[in-house]
Amino acid sequence: MILKTLISQLLSRPATNRFPAKYMPKSVTGFLAKVKEGKAGIHPPIPAPPKFRGKIAYDREKCIGCQLCIRVCPAKVIEFKPEEKKIRMYVARCTFCAQCVDVCPVNALAITPEFLLASTDRLSPELIVE
Amino acid sequence: MSGWAIFGQAVVVLVGGGLVGLFYRGVDRKIAARMQARIGPPLRQPFLDLGKLLVKETVIPKTAVAWLFSAMPFLAVLASFTALLYLPLGPFGPVLEGHGDAILVLYLLAIPALAMALGGFASGSPLGVVGAQRELVMLMSYEFPLAVVLVAVAWRLSELGLAPAFSLGTMAQNPLWGAVGPLGIIGLALLLVSLLVVTPAELAKIPFDIPEAETEIAGGLMVEYSGTYLALFYLADAVRTVVMAGLVVALFIPYGLAGRLGLSGAVGDVVDLAFWLFKVLLVMVVAVTTVRVGMARLKVDQIARGFWLRITAVALSGLLLLVLDKVVMG
Amino acid sequence: MERNPEGENLEYGALEEVFEVPIGPIHPALKEPIRFTFQVRGERIVDVQIRTGFAHRGIEFMGMRQGRNLIQILYLSERICGICSVSHPIAFTQAVERAAGIEVPPRAQYIRVIISELERIHSHLLWAGVAAHELGFDTLLHLTWRVREKVLDILEELTGNRINYAIPIFGGVRRDITPEQYPRVWEAIRYYRGLLEELLDAFLRDPTVEARTRGVGILEPKEAEELCAVGPTARASGLRKDVRQDRPYLAYSDFEVKAITPADYGLTPVGDVYDKIVVRLLEVGQSLDIIEKALENMPEGEITSFPKIPALLAHLKKAEGEGLGWHEAPRGEVIHYVRLVSGEESPLIWKVKAPTYSNLLSWYPMFEDQEVADIPIIAACIDPCICCMDRVYIVRNGKEETWTKEELLRLSWEKTRRMRR
Repeated sequence: MILKTLISQLLSRPATNRFPAKYMPKSVTGFLAKVKEGKAGIHPPIPAPPKFRGKIAYDREKCIGCQLCIRVCPAKVIEFKPEEKKIRMYVARCTFCAQCVDVCPVNALAITPEFLLASTDRLSPELIVE
Repeated sequence: MSGWAIFGQAVVVLVGGGLVGLFYRGVDRKIAARMQARIGPPLRQPFLDLGKLLVKETVIPKTAVAWLFSAMPFLAVLASFTALLYLPLGPFGPVLEGHGDAILVLYLLAIPALAMALGGFASGSPLGVVGAQRELVMLMSYEFPLAVVLVAVAWRLSELGLAPAFSLGTMAQNPLWGAVGPLGIIGLALLLVSLLVVTPAELAKIPFDIPEAETEIAGGLMVEYSGTYLALFYLADAVRTVVMAGLVVALFIPYGLAGRLGLSGAVGDVVDLAFWLFKVLLVMVVAVTTVRVGMARLKVDQIARGFWLRITAVALSGLLLLVLDKVVMG
Repeated sequence: MERNPEGENLEYGALEEVFEVPIGPIHPALKEPIRFTFQVRGERIVDVQIRTGFAHRGIEFMGMRQGRNLIQILYLSERICGICSVSHPIAFTQAVERAAGIEVPPRAQYIRVIISELERIHSHLLWAGVAAHELGFDTLLHLTWRVREKVLDILEELTGNRINYAIPIFGGVRRDITPEQYPRVWEAIRYYRGLLEELLDAFLRDPTVEARTRGVGILEPKEAEELCAVGPTARASGLRKDVRQDRPYLAYSDFEVKAITPADYGLTPVGDVYDKIVVRLLEVGQSLDIIEKALENMPEGEITSFPKIPALLAHLKKAEGEGLGWHEAPRGEVIHYVRLVSGEESPLIWKVKAPTYSNLLSWYPMFEDQEVADIPIIAACIDPCICCMDRVYIVRNGKEETWTKEELLRLSWEKTRRMRR
């Protein structure tokens, strides 16, 4: 019976994970700015699994400039900088398939569990990896 | 009582009724959310909603019959709040005791529904028209059992020689449970059940929310309403919830706590008022909140058939049992 | 069901007004844009016109003509649909593998099966929630979507993403299921086994749900067959039609999948919405069976025949030929056709047929003589995926155009002639 479910759910804790804050802040952007300054803490999200496909990390030193990642990237995230023979990634376009990580011959690219990437500016420094 | 005293009381009851109605709407939403394992909005959310709606632009569609469309929200609010004045409030009798009877309350409860239906027709939207048609079918379906319940209780009171029998005040002061035999108690229980089923229908809540039916007709008769007008309907709905629950309390559970606890005077009144508010809340949670989270929306023919066949039968057999009880007991 | 408007007036004349209720392209009953125009008398539906094309994105064009290579197109195909986001890649990889003659190691086939069955569980639970919401039963929506989190967590654990798993690649899969992941998958299977009875109870034995779904939106078996319905829509009408059973692919022949109809639940298939709920919930159990068997009998070995992506790209560039890939997506049969030309990185032709496209026509008999109140649940009962289905949209000089079957046939003849040359 549905009534049993209703009553047991009424008496137990809500299933919702209170993310990013336990109570709705007056201003979400203000709250996030405070988090950045270290004045407030984010209510922890449900932990990401070990091989979560998040923001791609780039090891500049290892990169040999072979451009294979650019060939396989489905979203044209990666830009080649010919003068340095290095790459620049625009995370705002990324689809998180991590194909570039698989293809990299020198393991210069790696997945990280970072997923708090929302921003109002697609060219903000946090969304550009180089 | 002097006119000014009544006026003062009326103001207090109207303001209090509005506040309680909105607050109970918040409680309703919170409990519904918790039953669905959600957190739900804060208790003050209905006040915020109302405030937000009041500052929003009020759009009157070009296809609408403007005067009718604009008049209906006011009519709904007016009728809902007036009904409050005929409601016995725990230790206190109705404010307008003696100026109208229970039949008037029935009309006052029907007027907001009619107003919404007319507003839906006047909105000029096909979805509004469908919603308004459904509202009228619903109104015709649930008014009869509701009337049967009121008449049954009033008839039994008049048989006891109490007058005026058709006053909610009299009904609240003379609970029938103790005055009837076992058959009568069964009869009263059947009447209570039918009244509890009528309650969500009267308030157009799931499973009877077909006039609005968000997923079917996108808000139905409310679809073109916005801003202040929508806020007025929202307020009328919140107050109507209190009136409907108050009606159930007045008819079937009018008992006070103060006498039992040996309290009297102002303290007793306060305790009884608090207890009355609690009873109203309880009725709302049982008849509205639990039902609306525990059921799917029914279809208009299913509702009409269900009310005409089942609920009317239940109410009528309750009436019959009351009559039988009277005949048997003498 | 289409009648001309004049005939309409003659038939019903002044008896009762027939008015038009437009549903969509934006409407609370719809999760994706499509437009139904209903002719309604009172609460009865007299006629319906369906217009599609609002969600067309030109994905095939992007794949064929914008210089993408096949690996890039693979992720494009994943984005045809968010819910069946492994079904399209599975069909696409099979098509390309057939065209290029690539073998898939057994272990990779098993992993593909496991992921696609997990996806079926999440898709069916999602659908059940949507259906409950259309009926105004939000508690069931919240219940099903809450328990759906578990399978999404498992998918995230196995693939790294909750949706758009990016698992299949030509010649295999990209991630293995490691020994420490097995217990978590088993735990999820046990969780759903225990839950299935509760879900069946909540949906099938609830009096209001039954009142709203029994005898509503009936698709007769004959109509289902004639209109080429696929997936649960066809199976609810009693057709034992399932690609996994009829034309087994990948490792599906190992599991002896049998198409599920309401008869398996002791009901006589009617083809109404209730039967569709039955079929989808039973299929959750069937998917659990398949995953269990797959986990138990998982073969050892490689997970891809091309561990080096550059080698794969080179092989695909040389490949010449055509291939068809099919898969039983949660909504029915999905087909991808690919034609590769040697020396080109993009395919010459890439054609997608999504399950909703086949089920679209079954809406007409289902809507016939139903009530306005039934519109949302009937619209939802085939589990429509409009963005999967909208594969073509004709706009010329800013105006939309409708082409008839004859014109389309003529066009395809012309194209065939052009390509033969």
